[in-house]
Amino acid sequence: MKDNIYQPINGEIVDIIEESSTIKSFVIKPEEDFAFKTGQFVELTLPGKGEAPFTPSSSPAETDQIEITIMKAGRVTGLLHECKKGQKVGIRGPYGSCYPVDDFVGKQVYIIGGGVGLAPIRSLFLTLVDRIKDFKSVTCRYGAKTPEDFIFKKTLFGEWQKIKGVEIKLSVDQAGNGWDGNVGVVTTILNPSDVDIKNAVAVVCGPPIMMKYVTLKLLDFKFPPENIYLSMEKNMSCGVGKCGHCMLGKYYVCKDGPVFTYEQIKGYPKIWE
Amino acid sequence: MEKVFTSKLESFLNAVAEKFQLYVPAKTDDHYTYNVYDPSGKKPVELNDIRTCTPIKEFLFPIRELAATYPKEFKPDDIKPFAVFGLKECDLRSIEILDKVFAEEDFEDQLYLNRRNNMFIISSDCNEPGESCFCNIFGGKGFAESGFDLNVSKIKDGFIIEAGSSKGNSFLMEHSDIFGEIPDALLSERDANRAAVQARLEEKNDHLKFDVTIKQIVEDGCDSDVFDREAKNCVECQACTRVCPTCHCFYLYDMQKEDYFAKMKMWDSCMRLSYATVAGGENPNKVLGDRMKHRLLHKFVHFHDRYGLDMCVGCGRCVDADAGGMDIRDILKKLKD
Ligand code: SF4
Ligand code: FES
Repeated sequence: MKDNIYQPINGEIVDIIEESSTIKSFVIKPEEDFAFKTGQFVELTLPGKGEAPFTPSSSPAETDQIEITIMKAGRVTGLLHECKKGQKVGIRGPYGSCYPVDDFVGKQVYIIGGGVGLAPIRSLFLTLVDRIKDFKSVTCRYGAKTPEDFIFKKTLFGEWQKIKGVEIKLSVDQAGNGWDGNVGVVTTILNPSDVDIKNAVAVVCGPPIMMKYVTLKLLDFKFPPENIYLSMEKNMSCGVGKCGHCMLGKYYVCKDGPVFTYEQIKGYPKIWE
Repeated sequence: MEKVFTSKLESFLNAVAEKFQLYVPAKTDDHYTYNVYDPSGKKPVELNDIRTCTPIKEFLFPIRELAATYPKEFKPDDIKPFAVFGLKECDLRSIEILDKVFAEEDFEDQLYLNRRNNMFIISSDCNEPGESCFCNIFGGKGFAESGFDLNVSKIKDGFIIEAGSSKGNSFLMEHSDIFGEIPDALLSERDANRAAVQARLEEKNDHLKFDVTIKQIVEDGCDSDVFDREAKNCVECQACTRVCPTCHCFYLYDMQKEDYFAKMKMWDSCMRLSYATVAGGENPNKVLGDRMKHRLLHKFVHFHDRYGLDMCVGCGRCVDADAGGMDIRDILKKLKD
């Protein structure tokens, strides 16, 4: 890590993958090896233009390049979407808390994702799959607006479904051509029979409104709040617990999060806004 | 630690100015700000009776500064040792609060620490607490017992200078020729002055002494409509966060310079509408009253939970500065009721 906490490491975009009409994955090669734990985030700088936080979607086992999957949502993400291969970028981090994968050993991991929320989840998924025998099972429930909106389509519809120990179910809000899966928001494919609640953890990542309803549903299933892991989003700037922007109660989402258990934050108002 | 006497400030300040870039209080209208010391004697320095109206954070955490460069990394400038004269006890406590954030071990802010480590702090006793001063509510007394390199107390015939650090102690020893010994009587005079100021503070702020902690008051008052009602007076000038010596929110932004890119660090204000807006456009604090609530929650509840102290020193700067006539003391009182 740099001495100056605001100084990024130089890097370059070496590949760009179109995931959907609004989402692209950027493969970035940092000038130095870049190690992170799954769930942690980085601050990505487009030099001279701006900086924004993202959780890498690649496996932490890869340290020579990282992949960041970005939805066009604001100014900086819009500019990033216009970038071409070869674009120089800066990376600060990794920052914040990670998914405590070692604590998941022996348990069923129930992963629920929506939209671009699949990005951090892919990093977790690849980490789990690397040592799949350590877990009782990995059960995934993903939702997207339309079939076209799923990201990582090739692997999601293909090889991931075949991994032993992994079970994946998908749902879309609106079916399109040739979709024969479930139609409805992601909560419609959550069933108490999916999970052995006594021996499971849930990981939820997606738009705030989706995380809210999924969490409520999990609580309905009697999932203990301390076993529900959420990736929280807040306005962030410094990433290092100084600038004040990302406060969620007494927590700095950048430093104490972005991964929180519901138990940690349930007492604070407006966590889903 | 050394304690010495001098009848004139000048020789003392000249000695300080030989070693440090020295900043001294200067009076404009009825308040003080800081100026660079002029050793020519043309602008005689008066000891400020009360804190300056500008916050001390300006010396440690400037309004805008270069934070990083690209593609070549910049080394933050070597900060030349500088001294600030006339800080008050509330100012020292505000530095303690900033230290908690910027010097926190896991991520030390080198830009801040460079200045902090090179700052020679010369505090002084308060002689005339202002109408808005309510430092005693946060444990202030009008004079400092720690947190300074040197402290100056004005007495009838001169000044008592006391060291509070080894740096301050060596300074007094190196310049023993310009100082005299202090007779005990002068120390008693100082103590009497201090006690009188403290008593005045206690008396004038008696109406702000609550039977519960301020943290409790703000926590309990969270659901009241006080914030929304108070927000009606707020003109969103953000002066409260600018002048506050403990408010430290900032944001980083990027820009292109001639032949390189720069990342800048600039003060921000949680009272600004889009302060908490995320990339998708959602904003949990669209309503002004909610931003005001957030500010008080941060100061008295969340900061307290995290660092064990209030993020307010009772300096009253926000009370003096507020264009809409908002008064944090009134808000606390209304929350209590
Ligand atoms: S909130 Fe007001 S009284 Fe408290 S430290 Fe800040 S400026 Fe001073
Ligand atoms: S992003 Fe600055 S404190 Fe969290």
